[in-house]
Amino acid sequence: MSTSFFRLISRLLIVCLIGLPFQVNAGMIGTDSVVSAAQAQVARNAVASFISRTDVAGQLQALGLTPESAKERVAALTDAEVAKLAGQIDSLPAGAKSSTGWAVLLLVLLGILIYWSVKK
Amino acid sequence: MSRRTARQARVRAGFFLAAALASILGLGGCISLPQTEALRAKPPAGLPLRVELTEVPFHSQDLEFLCGPAALATVISAAGVPATIESIAPLVYLPGREGSLQAEMLGATRRSGLVAYTLAPQLEAVLQEVAAGTPVVVLVNLTLSPIWLFPVWHYAVVVGYDLERERIVARSGPIKREDISFGLFEFLWQDSDHWSMVALPPGRVPATAREPEFAAAVAALEQAGRQAEARESYRALLARWPDNLVGLIGLGNVEYTLKDMAAAERAFRRASEAQPQSAIAFNNLAHVLALLGRLADAESAARTAVALGGPTLPEARKTLEAILASPAKP
Repeated sequence: MSTSFFRLISRLLIVCLIGLPFQVNAGMIGTDSVVSAAQAQVARNAVASFISRTDVAGQLQALGLTPESAKERVAALTDAEVAKLAGQIDSLPAGAKSSTGWAVLLLVLLGILIYWSVKK
Repeated sequence: MSRRTARQARVRAGFFLAAALASILGLGGCISLPQTEALRAKPPAGLPLRVELTEVPFHSQDLEFLCGPAALATVISAAGVPATIESIAPLVYLPGREGSLQAEMLGATRRSGLVAYTLAPQLEAVLQEVAAGTPVVVLVNLTLSPIWLFPVWHYAVVVGYDLERERIVARSGPIKREDISFGLFEFLWQDSDHWSMVALPPGRVPATAREPEFAAAVAALEQAGRQAEARESYRALLARWPDNLVGLIGLGNVEYTLKDMAAAERAFRRASEAQPQSAIAFNNLAHVLALLGRLADAESAARTAVALGGPTLPEARKTLEAILASPAKP
């Protein structure tokens, strides 16, 4: 296939990538500004929001996601959720266990408790 | 199959141990369970004594770490959207943490086209949702150690309760019907600050809906790109709270994105009448009217938006300038 075809596709892709994040046209004000006003937060700063989203997507990648997957997953979160995740991904609860291990853990803790109370 | 049985036995043993430890500690008077006490002292009026949503599907968690996807697949398929652990895991499971984050549980629900709504941190709210037919995802810490020592976070799905026997029934990991006491549940649940969520089909208002929180939950679905689903839920929100500003603006924005300009105009006009102090309502109305070619009406709405000022004043000024600059129709 000709290079001009690829050039056209590349240009289309660039336009799509730049244009896609803006779902509501310039001139329209998005619902999120009403939500953040209702929640009495500081006025939403589009630049700050963009930076923390990029930041969180980067952290998700570091934790094993592909770049596309990280981007899609961050896009499904609200600004407030992204702000909470930023810098805290390593410490926030991550529900995981089914079963194995934790019964053993309890036994160990019970042992410590008994040891502690006897020693006391 | 024998492995499954063995795992179930381990979980049961774990819950038994947890119960034993809790009662030991409880005898020492170290534990206070205010929510259980409150339910015992004053059972909520109008709540059925006993409910079990037996029709809620069971997605058995056969692999370690996948309780997030298992719990989500359970509530998402109960809400009518086909889901399996395999289809949900890529939306929520985080390999580096070997688990799933609360925020992403909400995000993955939205990506499935459902409203993700976080309940008030009350056992009573969980019971009310279950009584209304909605299974509830809860986050618990399975260890009885201080939270900073060894938290073992786990998602389960509450599908039933019994007020008289004070029991909760949950789909949990590989166990289809985990039956534990209110007290033990409250104890395991408190470390997550009593976190719980529901996944709602479009157009459904939760039984315990609080106006601002539910409006924000629908707006989050819109922001996640599920416009058609958000439209139905905005309509349901407005049927309950006709003057909700997030609902009025959100409905207009969704209609606009879905390119139904007549419906967008109706929504923004209704917003500007119900909330005449909202500059956003007038700004967006002006924008839609300009697109419909009604420049005189558009200009008047834009002037109102500018006069109202507020944090969106720069956008309102831009809208007015654009309308004044556009050539008049013949």
